[in-house]
Amino acid sequence: MLALDRLRGLRVIADASALDAARWEGSGEVAVLRFAPDDVFAVGARSVDVDDEHAIVEDETGYVGAWLSLDELDRLVVSRIEWPLPIRRPILAQGLIAGVAAKLWLAHDGTSLLLTAAPFAEELRARLR
Amino acid sequence: MTDPISDTPAGAAASRIVVDGRPLVFEPGDSVAVAILRAGEVPASGGTLCLAGDCGNCLAQVDGVAYIRTCQTAARAGLSVVRHPTHGLPPLPVVATSDPTASPGGRDIAVRRRVVDVVVVGGGSSGRAAAAAATASGQSVVVLDSADGVEVVAAYAGPLVVARTRDGMLQVQASEVVVATGAAEIHPVCPGNELAGLLTAGAAAQLHAAGISVPGAVAIGTVPEGVPCSRLDGRLVRFEGGDGRVTAVVTADTESGTEIRTPCSTVILGLGHAPRDLLGRMSDQMPLTVVGAAAIEYPLPPPPTEGVVCPCSGTTVGDLEVAWAKGFGELELLKRASFAGLGTCQGGACLPHVRSWIAARTGESPAPFTARPAARQITLAEAAADTYVDAFRRTPLHDEHLALGARMDRFGSWWRPWRYGDPVAEYWAVREAVSLGDVSTLGKLVVSGPDVVEALERLYPCRVADIKVGRSRYALLLNERGHVMDDGMILREGETRFVLTFTSSGAANAEMWVRDWIDRWGLRVHMLDRTMSLAAINVTGPLAASLLRRAGLSDPPRFLGHLRADVAGVPCHVMRLSFTGEASFELHHPVDRAVELWRGLLELGKGMGIRPHGLEALQGLRLEKGHVIIGMDTELDSTPRRLGMDWAVRMDKAWFVGRTSLERTSKLPDERRLRGFTMSGPAPVEGSPIWTGGEIVGHVTGSWSSPILGKVVLLGWQKRTPFVDRVEIEGREALVASTPFYDPEGHRARA
Repeated sequence: MLALDRLRGLRVIADASALDAARWEGSGEVAVLRFAPDDVFAVGARSVDVDDEHAIVEDETGYVGAWLSLDELDRLVVSRIEWPLPIRRPILAQGLIAGVAAKLWLAHDGTSLLLTAAPFAEELRARLR
Repeated sequence: MTDPISDTPAGAAASRIVVDGRPLVFEPGDSVAVAILRAGEVPASGGTLCLAGDCGNCLAQVDGVAYIRTCQTAARAGLSVVRHPTHGLPPLPVVATSDPTASPGGRDIAVRRRVVDVVVVGGGSSGRAAAAAATASGQSVVVLDSADGVEVVAAYAGPLVVARTRDGMLQVQASEVVVATGAAEIHPVCPGNELAGLLTAGAAAQLHAAGISVPGAVAIGTVPEGVPCSRLDGRLVRFEGGDGRVTAVVTADTESGTEIRTPCSTVILGLGHAPRDLLGRMSDQMPLTVVGAAAIEYPLPPPPTEGVVCPCSGTTVGDLEVAWAKGFGELELLKRASFAGLGTCQGGACLPHVRSWIAARTGESPAPFTARPAARQITLAEAAADTYVDAFRRTPLHDEHLALGARMDRFGSWWRPWRYGDPVAEYWAVREAVSLGDVSTLGKLVVSGPDVVEALERLYPCRVADIKVGRSRYALLLNERGHVMDDGMILREGETRFVLTFTSSGAANAEMWVRDWIDRWGLRVHMLDRTMSLAAINVTGPLAASLLRRAGLSDPPRFLGHLRADVAGVPCHVMRLSFTGEASFELHHPVDRAVELWRGLLELGKGMGIRPHGLEALQGLRLEKGHVIIGMDTELDSTPRRLGMDWAVRMDKAWFVGRTSLERTSKLPDERRLRGFTMSGPAPVEGSPIWTGGEIVGHVTGSWSSPILGKVVLLGWQKRTPFVDRVEIEGREALVASTPFYDPEGHRARA
């Protein structure tokens, strides 16, 4: 069964231009997932320098995810989506996967990060058997 | 009951199917229908057999699934076949489950998807030619053919072709669809056509090729090559029979009309063809081409004058006449009025005859009627394959609830504990000691920005600007019509930062509502939905503050105050409010720390009478306080006035969403009111009618037999004026009472 691990990072809501220029710091690599122009989940980030005094910056532990190989992406995801997988890489895709609201970070190297909100973890895990 | 297969000697079972409990031998390559005919029996009660999948005359229940075309189902060892009853419908399968919340059983049907340029349906000569042409032009092609066990059931605009295969369902997306499904044979329509022993020429040829003889056969029309039979001249008049099987056929001389009766045991009918173009008639909104025999406009058969036209629905020529006389003078209307063509084969047997029948009356042959998916009977599991029910969310405490013996149920798209054991004991823990409730499901929205006060003043009917930092206020959320959409708290964290809470079931809608308005107004406000990132535990009861002190919160906030502090080592946003009527503290915290906090509080509460409470107890607690649950007690057009919640609306504000409507409707008579009632005896069922003078004047929205008050308290609607103070519910008197029923001054919540 697919292992969905808790993702840790920072969730930041700020002006889009401020997010464009934001500087992220983490103990390892930071994956900056742009949920929306004003909404970022920076996986692995511990701090951020963002130029917006009203920015909302919160520790984020409300997502779970799994890194998938190309084969796993094809086997687990592609057959369970009704929307076309984007061709461009890297890119964040969002939609229903097996009927569960989820997101896909499609990286340059062919791998992808499947993530969903933690309350959906069990449903998604069960549906991707 | 003895299993006839398992009683069969080893090796022999490989060549038998079980029909109505009896084993029948089949040969390699036999369909179920052919195997049954090989045994000298018929797969269904009667009617002309085409053995080509075009009609519904061989339907039976196969391996528990009814309406299976046995002529299209390969026989295999152990296959269980049950004939449909001669009269009535086959029984529905029994699905037994004692738990209504459990997932339904059944097979998981796999779904494969393919994307190609061209999908060709039919692997005959026309289909192969179309596929070859497309391939030659560099297009990717897939050919779907029933001979390969692929039954195409639908062609949708898209185009999307859906097929049933031996391995599950197949969905093919294509740029173009080619239908090359050939032609079907014409069935006879005349008296006696429901008898067994009637075969189309193609079916007779198929049986002959399978080594099955049809003794005593006569043929009308085109005689199948090589099949031993006597050909009869003349026009078919009727079939005669006994015990449901044909014993003679009557024909008429085409010139003199003289009838000739010919005894026989089988009649082979070569009456012509009709295009098998069902898939081509499912949509005109896609690039679809019909080729080969399926595209030929064959001559229609003579108009029927008597007998069953539609064997699936049992529609007779007489039924057509009745419908026509009522004015259903067009093919699509006649189909709906007479049911001809509405059966399992969708006109495969009757359509040419009905068209011919209409042409005889109008002088014009109508175009065939529209076909609908599915072209083949599929099970609900197959129709629903790869579709999903709504995903229900789990709070991070889900497993903790289960470990405590909770009965979980679905509310507002979440799994929530209904009760852990005795809901009354849970209730008393809240009223007399301390209790924990999982309120992680509440909506939680952080809003921040220079225009945030302006935005919230416009959105909410209460005042926002005067909420001090560290304080909070209960608020309704109204739509433009002044109807209550949701409710929750507004908590001020800074001059330009607030936290908004919403109901569990209304959170998603409320969040979109807030976001849409702020976008529309162009105000500078950032929003972050934290509903699924933060868990929340409600610590409630007279000992709640004591428990929090044990957990390290030395100075819990006073009523409607809130602060950020560690509780049992977990960083929390602590909010003091009350839904239960007792002192309550909601602890909002990161979801990954929820279990730690829950267990820590339960441990610290030992000796204080702590126990968790579920929604059942919470229903009672809130009803004693007269607290309204939006969506449960309210209706889509409930205004604050109807709910008795005018106090939550500041009409002295210049403007807020819904104000204009409230001002206008405030001048109208108040004709509905949500009111509190008390009564004796057991609590009435929610939804129970409220009666006055023999007339239903409303209904109960929530009821509870209050342990502390010793009577039933309930909320319910009165929708007739003048409002009366005595009503009848479940045959008992109920009296209007002011709310809150319990602790009306709110001393306990503020304690």
